[in-house]
Amino acid sequence: MVKYEPPLEKYSVNIREAIVGEGEKAIKIGGENTFPFHFFEGSLPNPPGLALEILDIQPENWAQWVLEPFQDVTFDPVRWAEKCVEVFGAEILCLRLLSTDPMGRDTSPREAARITKKLADSIDVPLIVWGTGTEEKDSQVLIEVARVCSGKNLLLGPVLKGNYGQIAKAALEYGHALVAQASMDVNLTKELNIALCKFFPAERIVIDTTASALGYGLEYTFSIIESIKQFALMDRDTMMQMPILADFGGDCWRTKEAKESKEQGIFWEAITGLTFLLAGANLLILRHPDALRLIKEMIS
Amino acid sequence: MILIGEDLNVMSKEISRAMKERDPEPIRRCVVEQTRNGMDYLDLNVGPVAKDPGETMEWLVKTVQEFTDLPLCLDTTNPVAMESGLKVCKKKALINSASGATESKETMLPLVPKYSAGVVLSVINDAGLPSDADERASSILDSAAFANELGIPNEDIWIDPVLLPVGVDQRQVVAYLEFIQMIPDLAPGAKSICGLSNLSYGAPRELRGLLNHTFLVMTGRYGQHSAIVNGFDKELIRINRGEMPEIVNLVYRAMDEDDMDIFSLTQKELEYVKTTQVLKGKTLYSHSWLEV
Amino acid sequence: MALKGAEIIKRLPKTNCKECGYPTCFAFAMKLATGGAKLEDCPYLPPEVRAELEAAMAPPIKLVTIGTGDNALVIGEEEVMFRHEKSFFHETGIAILISDKESESDIEERIKGIKELHLERIGQKLKINLLALFFESGEKAKFEALVKKAHETTNFALILISEDTDVLFSGASLCADRKPLVYPITKENVSSAIPKLKELGTPAGVKGESIEEIVSLTSNLKDTGVEEIVLDPGSKNIREAVRDQTLIRRAALKKGFRPLGYPTISFPCFMYHDRFKEALAAATLTTKYAGIVVVSQVDKHFLSPLLVHRFNIYSDPRRPMTVEEKVYEISNPNEYSPILITTNYALDFFIVSGAIEEANIPAYLCIKDTGGIGVMAAWTSGKFNGEAIADFFKKYGVGDKVKHRKLIIPGVAKKLKGELEEELPDWEIIFGPLEASDIPRFLSEEWKQ
Repeated sequence: MVKYEPPLEKYSVNIREAIVGEGEKAIKIGGENTFPFHFFEGSLPNPPGLALEILDIQPENWAQWVLEPFQDVTFDPVRWAEKCVEVFGAEILCLRLLSTDPMGRDTSPREAARITKKLADSIDVPLIVWGTGTEEKDSQVLIEVARVCSGKNLLLGPVLKGNYGQIAKAALEYGHALVAQASMDVNLTKELNIALCKFFPAERIVIDTTASALGYGLEYTFSIIESIKQFALMDRDTMMQMPILADFGGDCWRTKEAKESKEQGIFWEAITGLTFLLAGANLLILRHPDALRLIKEMIS
Repeated sequence: MILIGEDLNVMSKEISRAMKERDPEPIRRCVVEQTRNGMDYLDLNVGPVAKDPGETMEWLVKTVQEFTDLPLCLDTTNPVAMESGLKVCKKKALINSASGATESKETMLPLVPKYSAGVVLSVINDAGLPSDADERASSILDSAAFANELGIPNEDIWIDPVLLPVGVDQRQVVAYLEFIQMIPDLAPGAKSICGLSNLSYGAPRELRGLLNHTFLVMTGRYGQHSAIVNGFDKELIRINRGEMPEIVNLVYRAMDEDDMDIFSLTQKELEYVKTTQVLKGKTLYSHSWLEV
Repeated sequence: MALKGAEIIKRLPKTNCKECGYPTCFAFAMKLATGGAKLEDCPYLPPEVRAELEAAMAPPIKLVTIGTGDNALVIGEEEVMFRHEKSFFHETGIAILISDKESESDIEERIKGIKELHLERIGQKLKINLLALFFESGEKAKFEALVKKAHETTNFALILISEDTDVLFSGASLCADRKPLVYPITKENVSSAIPKLKELGTPAGVKGESIEEIVSLTSNLKDTGVEEIVLDPGSKNIREAVRDQTLIRRAALKKGFRPLGYPTISFPCFMYHDRFKEALAAATLTTKYAGIVVVSQVDKHFLSPLLVHRFNIYSDPRRPMTVEEKVYEISNPNEYSPILITTNYALDFFIVSGAIEEANIPAYLCIKDTGGIGVMAAWTSGKFNGEAIADFFKKYGVGDKVKHRKLIIPGVAKKLKGELEEELPDWEIIFGPLEASDIPRFLSEEWKQ
C-alpha cells in the first residue's frame, strides 16, 4: 500500500506584524508565516483583530436589530465606545468620522480631532480612525487627528492614491499606522504600498482591498485577499506582506436580507467576516456585537 | 517580425474627423510617416462604423493606396465595411479580424477565399476568452478546422492569441507566452499576430514603450510572426531590425533566469531585466514595477 | 483534466498521421487535455501506453454521484486549491439531518420546510441537495420507516447514517434505486460492508479517525472494486476541518495521491450545538473544500445565508456574473418614478438596486445586456453607447412607463451623456453619482416631483 506523507508546505517568509495602540492593550496583527488556520504547518502568532465600529453622528437608516445594542449610547460616541469595550468586550474600536463628510455635515478637521481625542482618552483599547473616503477632506481631517492624538499609535484610514502623501507624513511625525486602500485590484494595492514605502515604514501599513457583503460581491473580496496572501507567502512579494483589513459591516447591514430578520442579519455579517478570515484577513471591522462574539468563539 | 502600423485609427480625433469629412491630408501624413518608418503593413482601424460603412471603407482604402504601396490590414467588425474595403485592395489584404465565435466566423471567414485575403483569427469563441494556454489551443484548433473546411489554408491564418493589458490580468500575459510556442505544432504553417500596444494599455505613458519592446523581444524568441504596433515607435523598430542586439540578448538571459550581476547593468539594462521578470509572471505587476 | 497537453504529447506516436482527425499529434494531445478528444481515436497507441495515459489523465479527485436523475448530487473533480486559480466546479452539497428519533409529525414538518424553501439569485435556483437520515432511535423499524418516507415522499438524494451496519444496509436496500450514500464505512465494518456495497452499487461514506486510517480504507475498497467514495476525516471543529480538508485536497491535487482523490463530507451538525456556530462551520467547510456539509436546521434564516454563500464561492471567477436584461421595477414605481440605467454586470445590478432600495424611492432600473462587463468597458466596445441604449429604450418601451423625460446614467460614463442627447432628444440626461453608495442621497435630493 502507498504510504501517506502529510503534504505540508513551508513558506520561508512572514507577513509583517503591525501594532495598533500603545501600552498593555496594544494589539498585534499579522506575523504569520502560513495561510489562515494552517496551524498544522506554520505559525500564526496573533489572532485576527476584531473591531467594533462607532459613528461620530447618530446612525441613520440602521436596521433595528443592529441599532438595538447601542440604542442607549448612540447620542455620544464616547459612551458608545465605552459600552463596546465594557459590555461587548471589544479589544479594538473603529471610529468613523462621518460628520466630516463634505456632502453632509462637513464638520471641521479641528472638531473631528477634538472628538477623536476625547474618545481615545476615555478608552484603553486601540483605535482605528476612519474618514469618509473623500480624498481632500480626509487628508485635512486625518492630519489634524494625527497631530492632536500624537503618540497614540492610531490606525488611520483610508489612505488613497490621491492623498497618501500628506497623511503619511503626519502619521510618521506623530507616530500612527495607516490603512492603504486600493479597490479590488492586486496591482493597485502593490502600487500604493510601493509609493508609501518610499518614506513610510512597511510594518505600519495595513492593506484594505475594500470589502463587500455576502451575496453582494463577497467572492471578489475573498479572492483578492486570497491572492494577496498567495503573492505574499508563495511569491514572497515584500510589497504584499502587510496584514489585511476587511471592512464590511455597513455593507452587510444595508442588504435586504439583513434587514429582514435579526438572526439572518447576524448570520450575514458573521459568515461574511469568517469567510474573509479564511481568505487571510487579519483585522475585521464589525458592526453587531453578536457577530463579533460568534467569530471570536469560532476561532479560539 | 512583420510589423503592422496601427496609427490609422478612428480612436484618433484627427483621423476620425478626416474620415468623416473625407479629408485626405491627415491620412496622407499618417500613411507616409508609417511607411517611411519601415512598417510592413498598415492597419486601417475604422471601428464598428455606424454610418455609411461601405462607402467610408472604400474611400479610406483608395485614399491610403494613393500614398503607399504597402499591403493593408482592414480592421473592422462591420462585414459590409470589410467587404467594400476588400473589393478595392490592390494587394493581398489581411482581414482583421474573425474569431471562433459563431457569428464572427460565419460572416468573416467566407470573405477570405472570396477575396484571396489572409485573416486574423483570434482564440475567442462563443464561451469568451479562454483562460489559459491549453484552452486557447483547443479553441484555435476548432476555428482553424472550420477555416480549413472553407478552403482557407493555414498559411492564410494569422492566429491572434489575444493579448490583455498586463495591468488587467498578468496571468493572461503568461498564458499568451505559453501558447505562442505551441502554434507551429498545433497548426503547421499558420502565422501568428499580436496587438502589441494593448499590453501596456493603462500603464504610465512614459513606460509603455518599455513594456512593448520587451514583449516584442520575448515573443520574437518564441517565433511570433507579426505584431500590430505603434508605427512611430523608433526604438521598437530599431530592436526589430536587429540594431540593439545587446538588449535582445539581455532579455533572453532574463527569460532564462541566468545569474546576472545586476550592479554591473546600466539603468536602461536593469529596466529591461525587471520588465522581463514582470512579463514572464515572476514578479507581480504594478505601475511602479521599476521602482522595486 | 489532470494532465497538461505538453505532458501527454510525450507518450503519443508523434507521426502526425491525422487519422484521429486532428492535424498533428500535438493538436490531439491538447484536445485530450481539455477533454475534447478520446484516447481511442488514436489507432497507433500501444495498449499499455493507453492504459498508462488513461490512469494519468484520470481526474485527481474522482467524480462521485449520489442520487439519480435531476436531483442527483455530483461532487469531486476539483482542480485547484484557490478558486481564483481557475474555479471551483462542483458545488458543495447541503444536506439536512433528520433523525429517526423525531416524531412522525416533526419529520413531516421538516421535510415540508425543506421542500418549501425556494431561493433564487440572478435567475439561478439555490437549493438543498440531500436528506441525511440518521439512525439514532435504536429501533430498526423506525429507521426503515424514515427511509421509506424520505424515499416515497421526496426526490432528494439521500445519505444514510448508522453505526449499526446491519441497519445501515437494510435501510440502503430500501432505497438502493436512489443511489444513497451509506455512512460510515469504518475499519471495523469495512470487510462486511464491501459485498453489500457492491451488491447495491451505492457510494461509500468512509470515516476514519485520521487521514492515515482513511488511506488504508480507501485502498482496501478500491482493490475490491468500490470506487465511488466520499471521505470523512472526522474533524471535530473548524480548525481541524481546515487542516484535514486542506491536506486531503493538497495530497490529491499536488501529489497525485490516489487514495485521497475523492470528495469529502463533513458534519457541522455534530461539531457545534449552537445553531449560529453550526452555520459558521458549514460556511467554513463550503469555503474550504467539503463536498457535502450536513446541517441540522431547516429554517430559512439559517439556510439562506448558507445557500447564498455557496453560490458566491462556487461562482466562476473567469466569467463575469450577469443578470437578465430588462426593466426592473423596484419597490412598485409609478409614472413619476425615476429611471436609472446600468449594465447587466451582476455586481452593478446588485449595488445599484440595493442603493435604490435603501433610498426608499421606487424606481425603474434599466439593465442593458453588456455581456457582463462594466460601464466603461461596455461603452468602449459599443454595448453601452448612445445608440445601444436608444435601441434598448425602443425595445422595452421605456418612454411609455413614465410621464417625465429624465434618465439617470452612471456618473462615470462621461461621453455617454452627449451621445444620448443626440439619440434621445426628448430626454434630459442626468449624471448619477460616481459612487453607488451616494445613490440614496442623490435620489432623495435630486428627485423632487
